[in-house]
Amino acid sequence: MSNPIVLSSRVRLARNYQDIPFDVAHKPDAAAMCIARTSNALRLSGQDSGFELLRLIDMDDVQRRALAECRLISKDLLRDPATAAVLLNEAEGLSIMMNEEDHLRIQAIRSGMALQEAAEACFRMDDALSRQVSFAYDEQLGYLTACPTNTGTGMRASLLIHLPMLTILKQMGNVGQIVAKVGLTIRGVYGEGSEALGNLYLVSNQVTLGRTEQELISAVTAVGHQLTDMELALREKSLQNGRNALEDSIYRAWGIMQYARCMGQNEFFKHWSGVRLGAAMGMLPVKLATLDAMLEQVQEANLQALMESTVTGRALDEKRAECIRAMLKD
Amino acid sequence: MLCEECKVNEASYTLSVMVGEELTTRHLCGDCMAKMNMNIASGNIKSLLSSILSAITGNDTPAEKQPEVVCPRCRTTLSQFTKTGHLGCPACYEAFHEQLQPMLLQIHGRVQHAGRKPLATEDAQRSRYRQEDLTRQMEQAIAVEDFETAARIRDQLKELAAKEAEA
Repeated sequence: MSNPIVLSSRVRLARNYQDIPFDVAHKPDAAAMCIARTSNALRLSGQDSGFELLRLIDMDDVQRRALAECRLISKDLLRDPATAAVLLNEAEGLSIMMNEEDHLRIQAIRSGMALQEAAEACFRMDDALSRQVSFAYDEQLGYLTACPTNTGTGMRASLLIHLPMLTILKQMGNVGQIVAKVGLTIRGVYGEGSEALGNLYLVSNQVTLGRTEQELISAVTAVGHQLTDMELALREKSLQNGRNALEDSIYRAWGIMQYARCMGQNEFFKHWSGVRLGAAMGMLPVKLATLDAMLEQVQEANLQALMESTVTGRALDEKRAECIRAMLKD
Repeated sequence: MLCEECKVNEASYTLSVMVGEELTTRHLCGDCMAKMNMNIASGNIKSLLSSILSAITGNDTPAEKQPEVVCPRCRTTLSQFTKTGHLGCPACYEAFHEQLQPMLLQIHGRVQHAGRKPLATEDAQRSRYRQEDLTRQMEQAIAVEDFETAARIRDQLKELAAKEAEA
């Protein structure tokens, strides 16, 4: 279900095998063992329907990056394609990444505000696998992970959240403080350093040890609701105080998105944010789901996959504009 | 009171953290407190880990003069871990226990896991409890010279042990 503020919910669990070193990047035998063991465990668990084993080495670079752009695999999984693989169930938004920072990263993505559902999908998979294999686990420290920042539950629960008004009105500093107070963190999703292209942010738990998964999910969900209320209140207020200025910027973005013939990635993010804000406020006749899908489909590798070519520059920007126009017409 | 991090400046901040059910208090100077906050805010986990770890192992002595701790299983050294922020294998947690404990406390505020457990562990746990129960019952049966019951329990225990060996 589309949500005016929260685009998607993601939960991932880090798991490791007790008898294999964490970093298998230069250990092909250990990496292969990890993949074989996990694939077998999934098959034996009877939960394997809809899953496909993809070894990154068998895919071309465009395909790999396209999967990462759709967040079905992490960017870190691309670091060492020779050893990395993923068991992917695209229809269910479920992936088991292998040989990333940890041996296993079980991940579930759901659209809108649905952390609980995403977590339950991960737990079902975790239980199914742990009946077949033993994960590195310690009574005191919980699940043992390659980096101590993930030790304990090994869980990271995150919301992809669109906060244009909070950003425009320079409230993100305050937001950062509120979020940090409850042990969470917020950062821009796209772009380098402190910029957050598209006014898109990820809110997630920072702490993984000493709290139950349920406590962490509740904390992230509560902050998600709080940020939603703050953003909605500002949207309402700016309609009352400066309707014309807000409408003008939204309709300008809408015009450019509908008619442009060439659009770079950064420019796309800027207008996309305006259009999504307008759509969420009921000003523009476009579905939020279309805009959320567009966010993935007009990124570089997804466009290149569509064009079956590795072109960049102007040709790619023209294809992007063409895709945007086509999606907005449907 | 001196800052527990740098052990140089006067501590002017008190950081309270929960360890299991107990409240533990740490005293930090302004510089160290600011450093921690900055690292957390900028998401710079690696430098945060390094700064915590070097504080724990002692800033005053150069690293090479200290005896190197090595994980007996994967041969990862403590200084490798300090540099990369990554452990070599699950056994490193035990090898570097002394250094990791305060670091985990610093990162998470607690050092006792409270979440899910692997199912296999739960099953093994249950089977251990069951074996302990049966052993106690068998001892009681022997004490009252009920050898028939004792023999039956002994067979049950054998069966459980065999099942565990299979798993």
